[in-house]
Amino acid sequence: MIAGTVYGVVLNDHDERGKLAGAFSEPPYKAPPKAPVLYIKPRNTLGVSGAPVVLSADLAEVEAAATLGLLFGRDAAKCDTASALAHVAAACLALDVSEPQANYYRPAVRQRCRDGFLPLGGFTPFYPALPVGEIVTDIDGAEAHRWPLSRLARDAATLIAEISDFMTLAAGDLLLIGLPHDAPRVTAGQRVRVTCQSLAALESHFVREDAL
Amino acid sequence: MKRARIAHDGRIVWTEAIENGTALRLPDGETIAAADAIFLPPVTPGATIFALGLNYASHRAELGFKAKEPPLVFLKGPNTLVGHRGTTPRPADGNQMHPECELVAIIGTPARRVPAERALSYVAGYTIACDYAIREYLENYYRPNLRVKNRDATTPLGPFVVDAADFGDPQNLQIATRVNGQVVQKGTTADMVQSVADLIAYLSEFMTLMPGDMILTGTPEGVHFCAAGDSVECEIEGIGMLENRLVAAP
Repeated sequence: MIAGTVYGVVLNDHDERGKLAGAFSEPPYKAPPKAPVLYIKPRNTLGVSGAPVVLSADLAEVEAAATLGLLFGRDAAKCDTASALAHVAAACLALDVSEPQANYYRPAVRQRCRDGFLPLGGFTPFYPALPVGEIVTDIDGAEAHRWPLSRLARDAATLIAEISDFMTLAAGDLLLIGLPHDAPRVTAGQRVRVTCQSLAALESHFVREDAL
Repeated sequence: MKRARIAHDGRIVWTEAIENGTALRLPDGETIAAADAIFLPPVTPGATIFALGLNYASHRAELGFKAKEPPLVFLKGPNTLVGHRGTTPRPADGNQMHPECELVAIIGTPARRVPAERALSYVAGYTIACDYAIREYLENYYRPNLRVKNRDATTPLGPFVVDAADFGDPQNLQIATRVNGQVVQKGTTADMVQSVADLIAYLSEFMTLMPGDMILTGTPEGVHFCAAGDSVECEIEGIGMLENRLVAAP
């Protein structure tokens, strides 16, 4: 379903940046982040809506951060904010699953890159006025989290322009545009449903590995 | 067997290196001179690309790190790769841009929870990477951050993949980098903190490694800042030599 590379962005939640403003000037960070802080979700993490997310025995609970994924239809290299969104062909909901970790100093490969830790919803054609106001996460049928994309410190066009300044976002790549710092935690046995206006809903259920 | 991935007559083909790497045999049996080939990065599209920081004892000491910690693993996108005899852009403000010669292990068999003792049997082959870094762009968030390590064409790869079956111990190889003919890195893979086998065991404990996935296993000491126009050669015993040239970024 995804032919390219999946890139995500942390520390793009305005509320989180406010909370960490003091910590940013302390070790190990020593200065606030300048460039967007990116990570990669490799191919083993990709999953589809409806499939189980398997938790190995060492994970009591995981963070389930709902976000928006933008699929590139053409290469974005050194583009400006005005043209940035013209490179995006489709959008989907994504559930970025990770082992909770408060520290951003080292790449969180072990925490973020387990098999199946990125279920994706179906794709919708993208256009710049696509309404994506708020992403809602229900757990076991009850609303557990809601975040408006107005919380993004850098909006999609700004992100694409700033990232494409130093690397190409290629046709087929998927960009996850930010994670809410207060994402809910889930454990085995729970069901998560992510919705956002006209986008295709995303459903995942979490199972214990030894229960398979 | 040594293999190379090249562009030939409008398509991508894998070839077999023959006559000591001076000639390449195409799938249809035709032979061409290696000197005439357009080398591409020897990568399986879609492969996950792992890289290691601080994985040589000498390089750790050089950069001021002491204690042994979990492996410092980061990931790279395919936009970073460029083939043998390709060029790498050097930004005008990248005065602390330096090459890092690395042994690359390529996975051949799906690997999940593989113990280090059996891990090398999951390797299909080995190649060479030059994983450039630009220290001006380092930030202390997911360090080494993508602005340093995920720039287009900053990771030359190749020219050959040597089959693991034809390869001896990956932990006893001479590894060197030359810039304009001057040796700037010289070490041995015996100095890796985490061996190839250790790294496969570490990664496969929490995720599945798939055929084609690549592990860039880190670099020995020797931080040498380069200029546009520099010719950079990375050589690893038993694999060959990877050539690259730095050009001024537009």
